[in-house]
Order: sequence, then C-alpha cells, then structure tokens
Amino acid sequence: MRRTWGLYLFPIPALALYLAFFVLPAAQGLQYATTDWDGFSPGFNRVGADNLVRIATDDDQFANALGNNLTFLLAVVSGQTVLALGLAVLLAARSRGSTALRALFFLPTVLSSISVAFVWRFVYDPNLGLLHSLGVPGTFLGDEDTAILWVAVAQVWFHAGQMMVIFIAGINQIPAELHEAAHVDGAGRWQRFRFVTWPMLAPATALVVAYTTIQSFKAFDLILGLAGNPPRSSLDILSTRIYTTFANSQLGYAAAESVVFMVAIGVVTWLQGRAARIGAGR
Amino acid sequence: MSNHVFSRRGLLKAAGLTGGAVALAACAGPGGEAAPRGSGAAGFDGPVEGELSFAHWRAEDKEVFDQVIASFTRKHPKVTVRQDISASADYQSTALTKIRGGGVGDAFTAFRGAQFANIASAGVWSDLTGQSLVDAYEPALITAGAGGGKQLGLPYQLVFNMPVTNPDLLATHGYANLPQDWDGFLGVLDGLRSKGVTPIAWPGGDSGNGGQLINSMVMNNAPADDAFARVEAGTLKVTDDWFLTTLRQYEQLKPYFQDGATGSANEAAMQLFATGKAAFLATGSYAAGPVRKLGARFPLGLYAPITVAAGQARYEGIFNATFILGVNANSSKRGAALAWLQHLSDPAVAGVYANGTSQHVTVKGVEYTNADLKAFAPWLTRKTLLAPRFQFNNLDIRTAVEEAAVKVVGGTKPEEAAEAAQRVVDQKR
Repeated sequence: MRRTWGLYLFPIPALALYLAFFVLPAAQGLQYATTDWDGFSPGFNRVGADNLVRIATDDDQFANALGNNLTFLLAVVSGQTVLALGLAVLLAARSRGSTALRALFFLPTVLSSISVAFVWRFVYDPNLGLLHSLGVPGTFLGDEDTAILWVAVAQVWFHAGQMMVIFIAGINQIPAELHEAAHVDGAGRWQRFRFVTWPMLAPATALVVAYTTIQSFKAFDLILGLAGNPPRSSLDILSTRIYTTFANSQLGYAAAESVVFMVAIGVVTWLQGRAARIGAGR
Repeated sequence: MSNHVFSRRGLLKAAGLTGGAVALAACAGPGGEAAPRGSGAAGFDGPVEGELSFAHWRAEDKEVFDQVIASFTRKHPKVTVRQDISASADYQSTALTKIRGGGVGDAFTAFRGAQFANIASAGVWSDLTGQSLVDAYEPALITAGAGGGKQLGLPYQLVFNMPVTNPDLLATHGYANLPQDWDGFLGVLDGLRSKGVTPIAWPGGDSGNGGQLINSMVMNNAPADDAFARVEAGTLKVTDDWFLTTLRQYEQLKPYFQDGATGSANEAAMQLFATGKAAFLATGSYAAGPVRKLGARFPLGLYAPITVAAGQARYEGIFNATFILGVNANSSKRGAALAWLQHLSDPAVAGVYANGTSQHVTVKGVEYTNADLKAFAPWLTRKTLLAPRFQFNNLDIRTAVEEAAVKVVGGTKPEEAAEAAQRVVDQKR
C-alpha cells in the first residue's frame, strides 16, 4: 500500500485529545503532588516528596483507608466472582425462566449508585431496616470491624448481575462437544465444571476480576451514599479519603494521595496478572 | 515519493516529545488566573437585571425560596433568580470551586467556619461593610460573617444545634421540667427507658447530624469557649481530662440511645422521634420541619444536656448562625445580587422564609408565626454558646474528634478513642 504524509495527520485529533485530557491533567496532578497548594490560592510552596513521605509514614487516616480498600477489594472480588459465576452456570441454558431470572439479577446494575446506597441504608438500619425485621442482629454499618464488609455486600448485589452476563457469554462460547466428550468419558456434573467449564472460562474470569478490582477502588458514590460525607474511618476507602482531603483544601496533598492510589491500582492489577499466569501454568 | 516518510518508531518518538513538552507546559503550575475583582464595594451600583444564580444547599427550602423569588421579581421585573442547589455535604466540599469563577453563585451562601474562611482566603466575598442591609441584622449574630475587619457575609439562619424534645411524651412520664445537672438527666433517661420509651434517638451513623450532640456535651465541660479551636491549634488535647470526661459521659448515655445507634441514619432517628417512640432527637432545631413532614403532631421543645453538677453550668444551650449570605466578588451581576440580598434582609421577607422553613433568622424585627419557632423563641434570649464543632477548620480533625464519641458508644474505651483522635489531630494540624 502506498503511504503518504497525509496518513500521519489522521491520528492527530485523537492524540491531541489524549494529550489535552489525559497527559496534561496527569502531569499537572504529578506536579501538584509536590506542592502544598490549597486549591485556590495564587501561590504555593514546592515541598518535593514531603507529601509522599507523610502519606507513607505519618498518616493514620490514609493507612486506614488503604487497609479498608484492600479488605473491600478482597471481599468484593471473591464474593462477586463466585456469585456471578454461580448465577451464570445456573442460568446459562436458554429458557423463558432463565431469561427472566437473568433480567432480574441484572436489574440492580441499571440503578444509580446513590439509589442503591439509599436502599441499602434502610436495609441496614438497626431499628427500622429489613435485616432487623428479619431478625438479623447487629449494627451493620455502625460496627467498626465489619462495616466495610456490609458495604461489600451491597456492592456485590449491585454488580453481580453485570458480571453474570460476562460469564454467560463465556459459557455459551464453550464448544458443546467438549462437554459431550467429557460426559462420554464418565465425567459427572462437578467434574465437567471443574475440568471443562472452569478452564474455558479463564478469559472471562480475568475480565471479571480486573473489572471488579477497578470497581472496588472506585466505589466512591456508594460509600458516600451509605456513610455520608465525610465517611467515618471504618468506611473510608482511598477514593473517599482523596475527596475528603480535596474538600479540606489540601489539593497538593490530595494529588499526592492520588499518585499513591494510582500506584496501588497498578500493583494490584500486576499481582492479579501474575497470579493468573501462574494459575495458567505459564 | 518515498513510502517511508516516518517510521513507526519515529512517530512514537514525535508523540512522546510532544507529550513531554505538553507535560512541561502543564508544570507551569497553579495560579495564573485573573485575580478576583476584590472585596471592594465597587460594582454594587450595576443594573438590577439578568439571570441571577443563587447557590445554596437547602433543597428543603426550595419552595419557600420560590415564593421569595416571586416577590423579588415582582419588585425587579428585569431579574430572574435561579436556585443552584447542591446537597449540603457536596456543597461543603465543592462550593468554592464552583463559585470562584463567578459563573455560578452570583449570590451564594456558606457554612460557618472552614468554608467561610476558605472563601475569604480566595477573595470571593464582596465587602458588604457600610451597605444599608447590614443594619437589618442583629449585630451579635452576624459576627460569623466578619473577617479582617470587614462584613463579608451575613449569617441568615439561627439554629439551635441541641436536642429537640417531645414535651408531651416527657410530661406524660412525669418529666415536664427537665433537670439542670448530669445526674438528674441520667435519672430522666433511666425513668423513660423503664417505661418502654427510647430516651434518645441519635443518628450516630450520620457524621453531620450525629456530630451535633458533641456541642451540648462539651459546652460546660470545656475549659474555654474556643476549646476545639485550641485543640486544632495544639494548645489543648482531646486526651485532657475535660474531653475524657465528655467521652465517659457518652459511655453513660450508651444504654439510652436506640438500639444500634452507631449505625442509624438521620432519617431513621427522625422517624423514631416523629412517631413518638423517642423523647429526645439529638440533632438540632433544624429538624423541626422534616419531623413535621414525617407526621409529628406533638409540640416540640429544646433541651441541651447539662453535663455538670447543679449550679455549675455556664451555658444552657447551643446556637449557630449559619447559611452565610454573600455577593460573589467575581460576578458580573453584583448590583442584582446585592438587591437580592437586600430583599432577603427585609423583615417581612425574612419572616416568610423563617415561618416557611421553621428556622429562626438573624434579621431584626421578624414576626414568627410558626408554632415551632414560637416554642423555640425563649432560647433566643437564653445563655447559649456558639456551636463549638464549627470551630474546627480542618475536616479531618473534626471527624476524628467526633468519631471518638461514636467509637465510645460503639464499645471502645474512652482513653483509647481519645488517643486515636489525638494522634490524627497531631498528624493533621
């Protein structure tokens, strides 16, 4: 194919947008992270890596938010993946009943996060809530030790249907012959799932886990809806912590927290990639 | 013509260099915006016309403001007023960012404390000193809108951030007169509980509303009226005796809150109170309107727990002057914005607002016709303290200190909760 100069002009609009809306803000964010800018004053001081050092060594609230976020991440990723997979296996067959149930389980996904938060606030109310009326004891969101796990339950309810759809698409792509061959070889239901369905769903699982991980870091609006603003320490995660710092007129420090947040997502994603490769024997 | 004018690597290099250059340009840093027009009075003589943005957080007052706007536009037909309303928590976080450009909030409101101070630092308040509308307000109630010797804003609402009572329920159980000492108060709570009444509905799961109780709890315990400001400044500590005493008193209150109080939202606490199941609602007088909407038909009262022995109390209750009205120094419609504030400062108009929203105002000569406002009116002349929790300018510190009380109610030892809070104070000061 004959190439001309003109061809190189085509990426320019996309590159310009990328530079303007990604590279430039990211670079500014990095720069702000080295300042003590309050977000509105015309002046600021350059503090070098002081903000990052403070985050690492002398900020209990950030450390607490990081711990909460990792707990939340583990609970949501494991709970949502298992539930979505279970629902997908049960509802993969095409029938009117399964189609209706798929729609039912998918329904929460179309709601707004704030609506979901308000619904679950009442579910969890220790006096008037649904769980209370069902006889489940506890203060739920008021329990220092388990509050973040109750938020994880709401998050799983919110998004499991969406992940179920991804798993169903993956299940429907598995050639029927593989199941038939396993059946002929005497494999039972569990063995067919264990040795055929599950390995063939590896790409779908990787997608679900990666997407759920990112969702877990970004559960900002659900937390604020459930816990108020600013959330108490037992419900504070990284995104809400950054928002609180920003609201506290510490934009430079909030930018530094954002840098750590980005690194945390990168590390978790890398670890997941490594785990997936080890699991696949590569 | 050659078909290899650029290699792929060359193109990537060019993109990288351009990106690097843009990144360096980005590092020019903050600032560089036009300075605000400043806090001078110039510009107030502009025309009273155009579409005015009024930024505030009181969604529950929208209908009453619509009435007030209608009377304003009858007086000034060339003006329309648009209410730009955000949820209160969001307003606290983002108002300054929204209004500093002047596109939103030609006239705006601010919370007392950190938000007022930040808006002042950013130079967004117009100086109202010397404007005739300032004379319409009770001087003692608008000090929260002053800074640097200037009257920058006008606190409009006068609220009592102390528990609301159900006097009928209390009287039914023999507590028509509430005690003025801690032991007496505990006795009332114990008596109510023994009769199957929830003594106190407290939204401990809602930081904004649940935090109000700390105002009453420290008003007579603190060694100084500005104790929380001193905590933030580092000259007092929350591990000191006065605050430990306060936390121990929270511990004593624990059996008298509704079950699972640390996980209760504000709506649920209000529901308990509005249905006559709880005798006290530990938030503030601003709950009167919402409680009425929930169907409460009983009269309302106010009462702040006295945390000391009889005769030792310095204060009877708590007030706060907030919803600070201001004119945006960066607005191109300052004349119209000032006219809007003048309209709100008219005692008749302020009366419409006050009676429609069940909130007292700081404007002089307002006639209160609302039954709840009449019931709360005696508190206008009692010995009340400006709400201490708004002395904090750092939200992290405020949250940590208030959360210490919630943790104690949740079962943490007062000493441990205080130490954890003090650690955050030390880190964030």
